[in-house]
Amino acid sequence: MIKKDLSVDFLGVHFENPFCLSSSPVGNCYEMCARAFDAGWGGVVFKTIGPADFKVDEVSPRFDELQKEGTPFVAFKNMEQIAEHPLAQNLADLRKLKQNYPDKVVIASIMGPTEDDWEELARLVEEAGADMIEMNLSCPQMTSHAMGADVGTNPDLCQRYCAAVKRGSKLPMMAKMTPNITTMIPVVKACLAGGADGIALINTVKSVANVDLEKKVGLPIVNGQSAVSGLSGKAVKPIALRFLQELRSAAGLEQLPVSGIGGIETWSDAAEFILLGATTLQVTTAVMQYGYRIVEDLKNGLMHYMEEQGVDHLSDLVGQATKQIVPAEQLDRNYKVYPKIDWDKCIGCGRCFISCQDGAHQALSWDDDQRRPVFDKSKCVGCQLCALVCPVHAITLGLVEMKPGREGDPATVDVASQRLPS
Amino acid sequence: MVNDYQKEAPGLTLSTAMQEAARCLLCADAPCSKACPAGTDPARFIRSLRFQNVKGAAEVIRENNALGAVCARVCPTERYCESACPRGKIDRPIRIGDLQRYITDMEASLGMKILKPGKDTGKKVAIVGAGPAGLQAATTLRQRGVAVTIFEAKQKAGGYLTTGIPEYRLPQAIVDHEVARIVDLGVDLRCGVRVGKDVSLDQLKQDYDAVLVTVGCQAAKQLDQLANNVCTEAAISFLARVKAGQVTASDLPDHVLVIGGGDVAMDVATTLKRLGVPHVTDVAYEEFSEFRASKTELAGTRAAGVTLIDGYQPVSAHQNQVTFKHRKVAAELTIEADKIIYAVGQRADLTGLDLDLQHNERALGAAKYHTTDPQVFAAGDIVAGDQTVVFAVQKGKEAAGEICRTLLGGNDHD
Ligand SMILES: Cc1cc2nc3c(=O)[nH]c(=O)nc-3n(C[C@H](O)[C@H](O)[C@H](O)COP(=O)(O)OP(=O)(O)OC[C@H]3O[C@@H](n4cnc5c(N)ncnc54)[C@H](O)[C@@H]3O)c2cc1C
Ligand SMILES: Cc1cc2nc3c(=O)[nH]c(=O)nc-3n(C[C@H](O)[C@H](O)[C@H](O)COP(=O)(O)O)c2cc1C
Ligand code: SF4
Repeated sequence: MIKKDLSVDFLGVHFENPFCLSSSPVGNCYEMCARAFDAGWGGVVFKTIGPADFKVDEVSPRFDELQKEGTPFVAFKNMEQIAEHPLAQNLADLRKLKQNYPDKVVIASIMGPTEDDWEELARLVEEAGADMIEMNLSCPQMTSHAMGADVGTNPDLCQRYCAAVKRGSKLPMMAKMTPNITTMIPVVKACLAGGADGIALINTVKSVANVDLEKKVGLPIVNGQSAVSGLSGKAVKPIALRFLQELRSAAGLEQLPVSGIGGIETWSDAAEFILLGATTLQVTTAVMQYGYRIVEDLKNGLMHYMEEQGVDHLSDLVGQATKQIVPAEQLDRNYKVYPKIDWDKCIGCGRCFISCQDGAHQALSWDDDQRRPVFDKSKCVGCQLCALVCPVHAITLGLVEMKPGREGDPATVDVASQRLPS
Repeated sequence: MVNDYQKEAPGLTLSTAMQEAARCLLCADAPCSKACPAGTDPARFIRSLRFQNVKGAAEVIRENNALGAVCARVCPTERYCESACPRGKIDRPIRIGDLQRYITDMEASLGMKILKPGKDTGKKVAIVGAGPAGLQAATTLRQRGVAVTIFEAKQKAGGYLTTGIPEYRLPQAIVDHEVARIVDLGVDLRCGVRVGKDVSLDQLKQDYDAVLVTVGCQAAKQLDQLANNVCTEAAISFLARVKAGQVTASDLPDHVLVIGGGDVAMDVATTLKRLGVPHVTDVAYEEFSEFRASKTELAGTRAAGVTLIDGYQPVSAHQNQVTFKHRKVAAELTIEADKIIYAVGQRADLTGLDLDLQHNERALGAAKYHTTDPQVFAAGDIVAGDQTVVFAVQKGKEAAGEICRTLLGGNDHD
């Protein structure tokens, strides 16, 4: 097995590898976190701890799942709030974790309704031995509107609560952001102004995943009703990456330390977060579906990727893709690239034809006798929808041509792509 | 058919391999992994593939099995890993062999070098026979820093992988690649040297700290009724000639009779058909319900158009005519053919080796892989246990471990 150093330093804390459980039931108690450490996770963000007097009262059932064509867990919806265990027990668990796993990183996630609560919780978790604090400003299904995602969209509250946490503790602190917002920049700047050292993103996306057609209620049904609540898993990865990109390309935030969260399942998901600027990574849904064991392939796969990239430090990869994502108006619109059909691979299903007819520009027609598509270059706009739907990857990027009247050398156009091999 | 009789069936593609891996239930206790005789961990490599870590998947296979790409193609998976797959309770088991083939093909095309020799221990071992057992043992010994010389009687390494299993099931290029990978670990492979003839076992005992005998079962068992019959040929001799490119369609007559109901008989019958022989009849001693051949092989033979007759045993032969009687019902059958190939089992040929194997087998027991001579060990088909490639791999691995324990003392650490 390949061996590579996966360690990273984040907010002054050393992680043996960047993979952490994100705050959720996967890190609910000492015993679970200990098993996760044993399985190889570098850190855990313990399930969000609230003030002693906040009563958590959960519904049952509390999850739903979005499928597409038989694939389960495309997205996952949950209606959970914060830790159900009493404050004292959570603090005792944090202490024991740090004692028994001194080389692993223990992060306390906290949340309170008032400045005093935030300050007090920060003090308590530092006392319990946590290495870092994560402020949960982003749970979308709290029963109290003084806590959660509602707070996370309010820059003024965020700044005040960050400052409160900093009064309570000297620990490095990251603020966990909600994606239920148009732009994250004002809130992030407010958090930094309040004293946050870094940002964790994202928490779950407000959603209704499915509706029961007979009972006419969203799922899951809680005694005949349902509620809007947070979506996570693979489907939210693009949303998380978009916010990561927004932040790391904003003026003044280019070096913003970020812990990336949202739909991470494979080492390649993780690498995408790293390339867009995340230093550590957090996972919940994939662990709920598959267990702690997924960390084996997260780590091993990332090591192989480092080897391929010729880097010895993960930090060398952080943010390497940020600059190549630019505002739409800056893209090169002078050329198009036509599809190239490999007739040896084509099995004659006609899916490219259907998609081009009904979803693109009718450049592909169908030869009924030969059972294969016929290409009309004059109609093709080069969108490459056909290549994306082809089940046997018989369609690749072919001829590059400058649009009429445009300057440029087609030979120098960089169209190489993993999804659409040229 | 005639022209591509050698061609292997196409393997999975990236998309179809990912779809197959997605069918895996990722079971908690992975019965498939427990069912592999060589301790390969299919659950682990399928999970790695599923999570897009194809290189990690290749590491899981290769570090456990020096012949991973061979086993992917020839393992009777229906009897081992796939028989245990809980997915079979929903529809059909995961195609574990095909996934292993995809992953090891990727390993080769990515040029991965996974195996590494261990730190030199100063010990050296001679291995007699470069079949699967000898090749795996050589790998394990090199991984533990033991110097290895393999003496192989034939001009090419591989044992039955090279001279038995037909090209369309196991391309020689795959075997050569696996052998090259093993030689790359610093194994001194000497082909064309028959121990007991070109060099004596005593000489090896003098020159090496230990000798491992993995000579396989390279002699054909005979049928008394066919003794000295000029129309007959042993299956392994025929298959070896085909593999060496010495048989062409024009050499073959119109009707060939094959006797036997195991995988070797199926290989002969299918090969004949693929070579273009119009009439191939296979008569098996076993009835279909008790067939020894794997279901896949049997299905392949049927698909190739072989006439299969089960439950008959040969009672007499006159030149190119063989008469069979049904073992259980009153029925007799006389078949006249232009050529008769018998596949009724193989046995060890220990000429010049002075080894005492009871019934060609050493019982696995307290003295695992030891012979009566403390310096000489044995593994592969000549010791007890299934006679399959994956078992040969496992026996080779274990024998190497036993040799290390004997030479180096201490624990057998994998
Ligand atoms: C036609 C056929 C098809 C088969 N199909 C399958 C299959 O699909 N799946 C499966 O799992 N198994 C299959 N098997 C069985 C499998 O090939 C054997 O179980 C396996 O090869 C045994 O490995 P081995 O290393 O013990 O011996 P072998 O493969 O028999 O190798 C022994 C080697 O030792 C050499 N040797 C012998 N004597 C000497 C000597 N005195 N000095 C030097 N070298 C010597 C031989 O030349 C040979 O290279 C098949 C066998 C045959 C014959
Ligand atoms: C069941 C469940 C409970 C969660 N509880 C919390 C929580 O207590 N605190 C918190 O900050 N985030 C919580 N989250 C959000 C996750 O930590 C994470 O931000 C989100 O699920 C996206 O990551 P993922 O796609 O890997 O699951 C929870 C998520 C789920 C699915
Ligand atoms: S690239 Fe777009 S327009 Fe051109 S053939 Fe394909 S689907 Fe049609």
